[in-house]
Amino acid sequence: MSNEQFDSSRRRFLRNAGIFSVAGALAACGIRPQSDSDSAKNTPREMTRRVNHNTGDSISILGYGCMRLPTKKLKTGIETDDEIDQEAVNELTDYALAHGVNYFDTSPAYCKGHSEEAMGKALSRHPRESYYIATKLSNFAPSTWPREKSIEMFQNSLKYLQTDYIDYLLLHGIGMGGMESYRGRYEDNGILRYLQEQKEKGTIRNLGFSYHGDIEVFDHLLAMMDRGEAHWDFVQIQLNYLDWKHAKEINPRNTNAEYLYGELNRRNIPVVIMEPLLGGLLASVARPVTAKMKERRPDDSIASWAFRYAGTPEGVLTVLSGMTYMEHLQDNIGTYSPLEPIDSDEDAFLQRMALEILQNDDVPCTDCKYCMPCPYGVDIPGIFAHYNRCINEGNVPRDSGDPNYRNARRRFLFGYDRSVPRLRQADRCIVCGACVSHCPQSIPIPTRLKKIADYAESLRAESI
Amino acid sequence: MKLLKPIRVLLAVLSITAICLVFVDFTGMAANYLSWLPKLQLVPALLAINFVVLCILTALTLLAGRVYCSLICPLGIYQDIINRLRHVFAAKKKRRLGLFRFEQAATKLRLGFLIAFAILLALGLCGVIASSFAGILDPYSAFGRIAGQFMAPLWRSGISAAADSAAEHGYYIIDSYPAAAAFNIGVLIIAVATLIVTSAMAWTGGRAYCNKVCPVGTVLGFLSRHALLRVNIDTDRCNRCGSCGRKCKAKCIDTKHHTIDLSRCVACMDCIGACSQHAISFSAKRKKPASKPDTTDTTRRAFLVGTTIIAGSLAMKAADKATDGGLAPLKSKKRVDGATPAVPAGAISLAHLHSHCTACQLCISACPNGVLKPSTGLSDFMQPVMVFTDGYCRPECTACTDVCPAGAIKPIDIEEKSTIKIGTAVVNPEICISAAYGQHCGNCARHCPAAAITMVKTKSGNMRPTVDESRCIGCGACEYHCPSGTAGQISAETAAIHVEGATVHTSV
Repeated sequence: MSNEQFDSSRRRFLRNAGIFSVAGALAACGIRPQSDSDSAKNTPREMTRRVNHNTGDSISILGYGCMRLPTKKLKTGIETDDEIDQEAVNELTDYALAHGVNYFDTSPAYCKGHSEEAMGKALSRHPRESYYIATKLSNFAPSTWPREKSIEMFQNSLKYLQTDYIDYLLLHGIGMGGMESYRGRYEDNGILRYLQEQKEKGTIRNLGFSYHGDIEVFDHLLAMMDRGEAHWDFVQIQLNYLDWKHAKEINPRNTNAEYLYGELNRRNIPVVIMEPLLGGLLASVARPVTAKMKERRPDDSIASWAFRYAGTPEGVLTVLSGMTYMEHLQDNIGTYSPLEPIDSDEDAFLQRMALEILQNDDVPCTDCKYCMPCPYGVDIPGIFAHYNRCINEGNVPRDSGDPNYRNARRRFLFGYDRSVPRLRQADRCIVCGACVSHCPQSIPIPTRLKKIADYAESLRAESI
Repeated sequence: MKLLKPIRVLLAVLSITAICLVFVDFTGMAANYLSWLPKLQLVPALLAINFVVLCILTALTLLAGRVYCSLICPLGIYQDIINRLRHVFAAKKKRRLGLFRFEQAATKLRLGFLIAFAILLALGLCGVIASSFAGILDPYSAFGRIAGQFMAPLWRSGISAAADSAAEHGYYIIDSYPAAAAFNIGVLIIAVATLIVTSAMAWTGGRAYCNKVCPVGTVLGFLSRHALLRVNIDTDRCNRCGSCGRKCKAKCIDTKHHTIDLSRCVACMDCIGACSQHAISFSAKRKKPASKPDTTDTTRRAFLVGTTIIAGSLAMKAADKATDGGLAPLKSKKRVDGATPAVPAGAISLAHLHSHCTACQLCISACPNGVLKPSTGLSDFMQPVMVFTDGYCRPECTACTDVCPAGAIKPIDIEEKSTIKIGTAVVNPEICISAAYGQHCGNCARHCPAAAITMVKTKSGNMRPTVDESRCIGCGACEYHCPSGTAGQISAETAAIHVEGATVHTSV
């Protein structure tokens, strides 16, 4: 999390704390606030909401992503493990609900399979009608492709979430694995038909899909809708000010959000946004970009620009953010209460910033650690984190003529040794490829590691 | 005249500090400015046949006696420090009266050590044994071993800790962590023995080591007898109190006969201040009065003690650092048994290095890549060999060739270095994870700076590395980058590719 984001949320927190303590003091003196309603409704700032025209649901523009729930470390023997910190999840859920967030997006695959259960525990403490649950049919593994296995997965979702209906159900990550995988998961086994039946029965209120990867599957599903073979109540896509026009430059397998959103909006399908921060990349950007953003809105976090951008299109139903810490939640609630849409001038500004950020060649690593442990001991997320940090701080000199060359070189090399021991650095990668299939961002990990290793080598040899 | 001693002390402090810096500094910065200091040392200059230095030292000794022993020789200065400590800890009365007493020259002993040294050196130069055996007696090399074994580890962990905390505040003072100082049990034993012997002899007998054991002292003694400037006693003024003799750490002033053994006098100037009659002077056989005695130099002592404590506490902090979690285990790679050792480019051949190196450890201290280590073998006792388990000989580095004072590693430039073949990589396909187990690897080929390694298909269909021996220069990048021996999951303890050193270096 960026300092800026922390600072602004802390300020907001302090301010709120101040208001509450004043209110408390007044109450103690027998002077009561004008309204007896709870403090959330009492704040003049209401979160922006969007209406789903299919069901009339009024959804908060900020949706809670439940993929990166807070964890606490478990000590089991020598190795350390972690488990979900249920108390923190409850606290975050309560705070989110109290401040207008009513859309919670989870999946049977998240948090080593424990996300639904944890959210079920947290949410069931509140009235069922006060929130909307989105979950997915995450039958990625071929072992879950058979009909009964997939149905079991759906039934388990109901059980873990302690509910008898799902508000928003998604075919999870269609496009990953191409048409073949899509047909195996949903068509050949009749699961799509099954889900449509569940919707008719009311067990599913809205049926949609989330999309990553092969554009052929996206187009196929929309064509089905055009032919009347299916109806998509909503669709979840990746959208942020980099992906709008430059998704392919980040990863050739991705498609520009401009196209995806355009196709959905043309069909009047409500759009749910994921990756508004591109895995945190847009919460902490290069110094020159930071400076320009701060010049325009000095008190707003860097992340707030990305959230405002993602929430601005009218067809967007909600913007998901995987908020692990209270500071994230508070900052995002602040950004969206209410949403101040990006105007055309700011839009042009963000597109310029996107170009600057893209030049930086960050690795879109979200530090999810799915690639770990590397069997050869390479600290993959550690290396990427160091590299991205150096890029953001302007310490990746490309030329010995750079005015800051000596200092930047030293910051890169010594910082590298500090954060990653020599024998875990990028040059130890033997390109076995074990990590590649685990990366949800489809980062070509060995290729990026080799580039970083070559770069560090050229700095050490002073050959640039 | 009374200024001579403070000047001597000041120069000596500067000299030993500078030499220590050259020995402990791994960044090459000190070596850039100060590598001429080791080159002034007599034995290395002799081995390097450095005529300029030899002439300068001869001229200096003929002019002013054994000032070399008081100003240039680090082991001599070290003994002066021990003497000073002894002085501080001595009883007040003894301190005032002086700790020493005139002794006759131990001529036979001195000559015996000199002859032994000469024989060892001759055997070394003829290639019968390593010159480092002679180097055991060379005071400069002896000091180098002490610095390398005791000061370098402290200094390095201190610098690492300092750089760490500086980086926390956004300042970056070094490029990378220093490689761990090379530890070697043989060198350590010799260093400890030298340290104990010289310290004990200095504590009990002043410059006893210099005047009984040290071959350099004996050789310089021959010259200093005829020195132009010397300590003179004005017999008219002398009241035969004997205090100059009791203050003489070389024990060379015979106050009864008013004679001074100039072969042992190290021109420390202590006697000048000791004489209340101003009867002693440092002059060309002239008698001149001198004035008041010295003041106790406590600042130097405080400085030395203080820096040791600081370095020590930093070292402890560095050792406290937590370990990583969630990462596959690593182990430390072992060297391949029986491999011919590689020696740095510039060493010309194994024989040349063996016959010229006195094992002062300066190159080992200077190596920023942790590659040079003292050998444990007898044929190259304590001399540098290259070990590629924790680093490799980087193409842009010539640190060892820049500092060697003895000409054992001749200076070369970076362009020259990439053309000198110091060994050849050899593949062990039986433990290679690619050749033997069909893993996709090729890390050796990927990191070979000379592009000498090609992966080829074997009959089994696996890829194995092959080495183009005409291109390979033996830098060890392949051995360092090989996952065998490092990755915890692989049972092999050594790399599957290693460098066999060349007995004679050639150019490619």
